[in-house]
Amino acid sequence: MAVQYEDFTAKLMNDMDPALLDFVKNKVNTFIKWDLLKFFHENPNTSDTAENIARYVGRSATAVKTEAQQLVEGGLMEMRTVDDLLIYTLTQNEQARQLINRFLHACEDRNFRVKVVYHIIRGMR
Amino acid sequence: MERVKTGIKGLDEMLHGGFLPQTANLVEGAPGTGKSTVGMQFIYNGIARYNEPGLIVTFEEFPKQYYRDAANFGWDFQELERQNKLKVIMSSPEVTRQDLQSVGGAIETFAKEMGAKRILIDSISHFRRLAVDPVELRTIEYSFINALKREGLTSILTRESTALFGDTIQPDDHIAFTVDSYLLLRYVEIESAVSKALLVLKVRGSDHAKDIRQFEITSEGIVVKSKFEGQEGIMSGSPHRMADAFMKAFVENRSRK
Repeated sequence: MAVQYEDFTAKLMNDMDPALLDFVKNKVNTFIKWDLLKFFHENPNTSDTAENIARYVGRSATAVKTEAQQLVEGGLMEMRTVDDLLIYTLTQNEQARQLINRFLHACEDRNFRVKVVYHIIRGMR
Repeated sequence: MERVKTGIKGLDEMLHGGFLPQTANLVEGAPGTGKSTVGMQFIYNGIARYNEPGLIVTFEEFPKQYYRDAANFGWDFQELERQNKLKVIMSSPEVTRQDLQSVGGAIETFAKEMGAKRILIDSISHFRRLAVDPVELRTIEYSFINALKREGLTSILTRESTALFGDTIQPDDHIAFTVDSYLLLRYVEIESAVSKALLVLKVRGSDHAKDIRQFEITSEGIVVKSKFEGQEGIMSGSPHRMADAFMKAFVENRSRK
């Protein structure tokens, strides 16, 4: 019975655009990554270090550094080095930006947000 | 010489036509006096009226705050960004400084690609965290200002003043010597109401208005009005009528003798 319930929940939570489902499961798989993408989407020309970005989103610098690096590896952010500074920006790749826009636009719907939260928590187990 | 017009009613007249090209211009004032509004209006008018694209670099306020504030004045900053005539960049003093020092940095690239002529730095006060030593801070700010000029940009740099009324000693007062012009925005209390005053303290290489003028932040931006009449001590924040000053200086003192 419990397994059936879990299957039913998973089915419900997987009910979204396949591209967005893949995006949520593999790219935006933590709350901090979600915070970062939302911040950069609203402030697209931000260019700064992980420490300063952490201040902007109200998260710890250590966590933001790790998560930002993962977003770089996932092709959603870019990182460049200027002297001894590691500077992060949103990706300039148009396709990636459109996917981010689609995701964040979808997040305006509460039901979608619930599904994203479900998948992030599942992924954290 | 051609001037870089602010397009702000009354201000270009005080500046005798506008700022000189490729100069650094300091706008200082207490919270809420309109420093950022002067800067935004300078950038917006540059794009809308004079076909001069611009950049805004903010170190604290988020760009979405600028979009919202600008929209309140009827300026669509997001549309201007879509048209590649404006970029609102959020960064930090240390990153912006390194960026301008390096070849092919973001600001240099944006300025070249967009043909940007104007920039707002909001605010230069944040540079204080780059150095404790005032001599080192002056060197950093001087180099930064030179980099903006190198890119052919006419800049407005805002600076925060903590005193709501009157004057305050700033740890980086030397920047007044480094910039090309210096505009002061002040709150003034007159007859139990708070007004705003603007003074052009300095314009290097040019004459300028010497009087202190009242200004307002209207629904269309800043409007500079006429000078304060019959008042003395405006910049102290608590002016008094000139007649009172005359009485004090010439009548009361004489009767004491």
